[in-house]
Amino acid sequence: MNAFLLYTVQGLAAGSFYALAALGLAIIFGVLGVVNFAHGACYMLGAVVAAVLLDVTGLTFWPALVVVPVLLFLFGVVIERLFVSRLAELDPLYNFLLTFGLSLLLVDLIKRQYGVSGLPYTRPEVLSGQLSLGSFHLPTYQVFVFLFSLLVCAGVWLLMTRTRIGMIVRASTEKSDLTRALGVNVKAWVTPVFGFGIALAGLAGVLAAPFRAITADMGSSFIIILFAVVVIGGLGSIVGAVVAGFLVGLVEAYGQAYAPQLSQIVIFVLMALVILARPAGLFGREENA
Amino acid sequence: MRSTTDTPEAVQAGQTRPGLRGRSPARWALLAVGLVVALALPWVIYPPVAMDIAAWALFAVALDLLLGYAGLLSFGHAAFWGSSAYVTGLVAIELGLPFPVAALLGAVAAMALALPIGLLSVRRSGIYFAMVTLAFAQMLFFVVNQWRDVTGGENGLQGVPRNFFGIEAVETEPFYFYYAALPLILAGMWFAWRVVHSPFGRVLVATRDNPARARALGYNVERYRVTVFVLSAGLAGLAGGLFALSHGFVSLQEVSWQTSGKVVLITVLGGIGTLWGAIIGAGLIVTLEDQLASSGFDGIGIITGSVFVIVVLLFRSGVWGTVTNLVARRRGQKVPSEDIGAADSEQGL
Amino acid sequence: MTKKLLTATAVVSASALVLSACGNAGPGGGDEGELSDGKVVIAVLNDQSGVYKDLSGPNSVAAVEMAVADYKEKHGDDVVATEIEVTSADHQNKPDVANTKAQELYDREQADIILDVPTSSAALAVATQAEAKKKLYINIGAGTTELTNDSCNPYTFHWAYDTYMLANVTGKTVTENGGTDWQIIYPDYAFGQDMDKSFTDAVEEAGGTIGDHIATPFPNDNFSTFLTKAAAEEPNVIGTMQAGGDLINLVKQYNEGGYAAQGIELAVGLMFITDIHSLGVEAFSGVNFAEAWYWNFDEENRAWADRFLEETGTRPSFAHAANYSAALQYLEAVQEEGTDDADTIVGNFEGKKINDVFLKNGEIRAEDHRVIHDVYLAKVKTPDAVEEDWDYEEIVSTIPAEDAFMPLEESTCDLG
Repeated sequence: MNAFLLYTVQGLAAGSFYALAALGLAIIFGVLGVVNFAHGACYMLGAVVAAVLLDVTGLTFWPALVVVPVLLFLFGVVIERLFVSRLAELDPLYNFLLTFGLSLLLVDLIKRQYGVSGLPYTRPEVLSGQLSLGSFHLPTYQVFVFLFSLLVCAGVWLLMTRTRIGMIVRASTEKSDLTRALGVNVKAWVTPVFGFGIALAGLAGVLAAPFRAITADMGSSFIIILFAVVVIGGLGSIVGAVVAGFLVGLVEAYGQAYAPQLSQIVIFVLMALVILARPAGLFGREENA
Repeated sequence: MRSTTDTPEAVQAGQTRPGLRGRSPARWALLAVGLVVALALPWVIYPPVAMDIAAWALFAVALDLLLGYAGLLSFGHAAFWGSSAYVTGLVAIELGLPFPVAALLGAVAAMALALPIGLLSVRRSGIYFAMVTLAFAQMLFFVVNQWRDVTGGENGLQGVPRNFFGIEAVETEPFYFYYAALPLILAGMWFAWRVVHSPFGRVLVATRDNPARARALGYNVERYRVTVFVLSAGLAGLAGGLFALSHGFVSLQEVSWQTSGKVVLITVLGGIGTLWGAIIGAGLIVTLEDQLASSGFDGIGIITGSVFVIVVLLFRSGVWGTVTNLVARRRGQKVPSEDIGAADSEQGL
Repeated sequence: MTKKLLTATAVVSASALVLSACGNAGPGGGDEGELSDGKVVIAVLNDQSGVYKDLSGPNSVAAVEMAVADYKEKHGDDVVATEIEVTSADHQNKPDVANTKAQELYDREQADIILDVPTSSAALAVATQAEAKKKLYINIGAGTTELTNDSCNPYTFHWAYDTYMLANVTGKTVTENGGTDWQIIYPDYAFGQDMDKSFTDAVEEAGGTIGDHIATPFPNDNFSTFLTKAAAEEPNVIGTMQAGGDLINLVKQYNEGGYAAQGIELAVGLMFITDIHSLGVEAFSGVNFAEAWYWNFDEENRAWADRFLEETGTRPSFAHAANYSAALQYLEAVQEEGTDDADTIVGNFEGKKINDVFLKNGEIRAEDHRVIHDVYLAKVKTPDAVEEDWDYEEIVSTIPAEDAFMPLEESTCDLG
């Protein structure tokens, strides 16, 4: 029982990275109709920037949780203005290709600048070690990652449902033509929304920094799993992205625990099943396909 | 997915396009130049590199058949190139069959793999299609890596022979092997050209430009898409098999996402929807990578990434499309809009 | 469509036959490297942009140039190889690139020898080319034992380390030092499977026991679950065969799980000093691993490492020293034989006993072309024990050459 609980926590922690990043991917897709192939690279940037800031300025983990996403937000704004917006009127596949090119570029720039063996990062003392709940021992950091990302996802959800900005974003995510028809200026929100999505990927990266290898390649396989996550959740759906993120994390952890050799393949099988049963994804609507 | 860019012209694709269409002498001249270049290549370029160019060119043509004419971007085509490479390698090693037979069996295997993946993937189009094919290809990567008894795992299949009826020159010299393999490459390209110019190809273009309308006209859009997906996989497989034979081994690289990305880059650089473009793109990228490997410059991704960004931002019709548009402009013809699938299907080979 | 397909198939096969019969003219074959005009070309083919860039990469080329300078200085006016060219190429860890580049280096750039080539599949591809072209290849960067077993050939030598040595040294020595109860976590691909097997043999031979062998996907960034499973069996050592980024993931998550405090040590199958450098000593403190060479081991190593630091601005890894050693010994062989003819050099190498900065009690085994030498079990220092940059390792014990590597009777190599 203890082991099962541990696997669950570990799965939820792994899912936290997917959920946060997929949330960013879904919001960007919703408002811009763009699937950001560079999302994995932005996750990597989040971790690398956190590590570099720690090394150069001594900025520790806690402030990095705020500073790095802000920097990534600005980075996203620049990318949107410089590149993505120029292709806005064309088939979204062009932006898919553009961001693929950007991700190759980013990964190699980081490689040249910071080498390939990875960067060091120290985690805050408070989050080290084990959390004891009676006879249960849980890894503190993973519990923190799960709770923190749950909090962020809930915060984003409140932002989406309780504020005017959120209403507009959500409306254009889920019924974009209708929103435009109602005279809402969706365009004004495009750039900040893109930056916000990138910031979420960066936040996932900061969370990964104390826990995973910080290398230029850390986003490369991450983005592929992320695609599976949004296909499972339904690309147009904000809730779907988060739920599918945690779900995939759990599937991965249970797979690793009970059928290690299949643990990666299981995610793709799940994706295939979802496509068969509900082509638009668990929370997607057919019209967004 | 393209409903917003639909124009009556687009639906009439193939009848109103400018370029070299309809000028038979020009087309024959082009074909002749292409053949001469293909035949002269290993005299000019290091023969193994020439063979790489030929194989990647066919691979890009296969991808373009899908992307340019059916409007479907597969980001997992390495699955077919790679699975065929493994099957070709195994057939050549275990059964010792002549290499063209091995490569064709590899292509058949790739088509068999493409059928279920195609059936699942065409349930979604546009971006979804790209993501789903990428994910399935990654799944294959994991399988190939773990299934060591058959695939050799990360060591790959080493020592793949190029059996060719005991003709030693072909079996050992890359120079002669190029000429022995070229007919298969050309036949593959000819086949792609036939598909594009058949009634099937025209329906395909219609399903690309306006699926709803094609459906209304009674065409089963999904079936057309699956068919072209399988055909494209077969050609990609033929190319992958020949690539494996040329190098004498098969490795995990062949099923990796980088390989899928590279063929997309080649196609986009050359010009989507122009089969000639795919060939030119292959020539450019393969030579570039070959040069970079000896140049001491360690950022190949910086170059390829920048090429991607520049082409997508500034030259969406690719090298070939840009050139033919220039030619068309000089002749005062109308130039098609720059969007996926808007390139001239008649401009092909 | 089916009919067209069939027609196409027929055309393809038929034209293949016809055209191939026509292609009988072409450029002549390359010349055999006899004395090759007194010019010796040494090519370094390795990863100059990917995961092995720091381990070997461009600095290995610098190491080879140091060897050339030393050779010239030592023999002064008597040098046989008056003109020596060092060239390099980047295989980007792609075996097909390695394959093409190797052919090009041998054929076009008249390379007499290729050095390094990390990544097993790339190394095996280059070995095949070496055999076909009858030119030399000394592998340094790749660890596969295939090169000195089924895939061995007369022109290929394996200089620095292999998976058998790593597993044997770490498994045996850690067990002998009291870590008798093992759990093994390994990535489920060829390298990991080989390492698992060799580790198991070594640990059991030394009297230890292994509980579970946990296979993990590759690549993978989440090892917490695997570690939990392994730790649940209460071993005193967890052996991990992960490498590179995956290893860093695993070590971070091992530290996070607090297993060291539970008395569970970590032994690593494949680890390089560059891994410690990038992640920091603290993360790896106390980890046991096999090391083929360490720059701060003795005065001789240290003196060479100081020169290397001057040239490159960094301390050498074992791969840099091994590239230096391989190039130097090759040039010495050319000097002794007065020729760079590959077969003559092979004859010179076989059975030769060598001592240089890298090879301590070294010997080039004639039977399988494995170069054996003394190797070490290293332990990563604690942060406060580190006295300078790159001073990360404490050498726990030296394992003599003949005990460290795969014994000849186990090798399946047949050089005929």
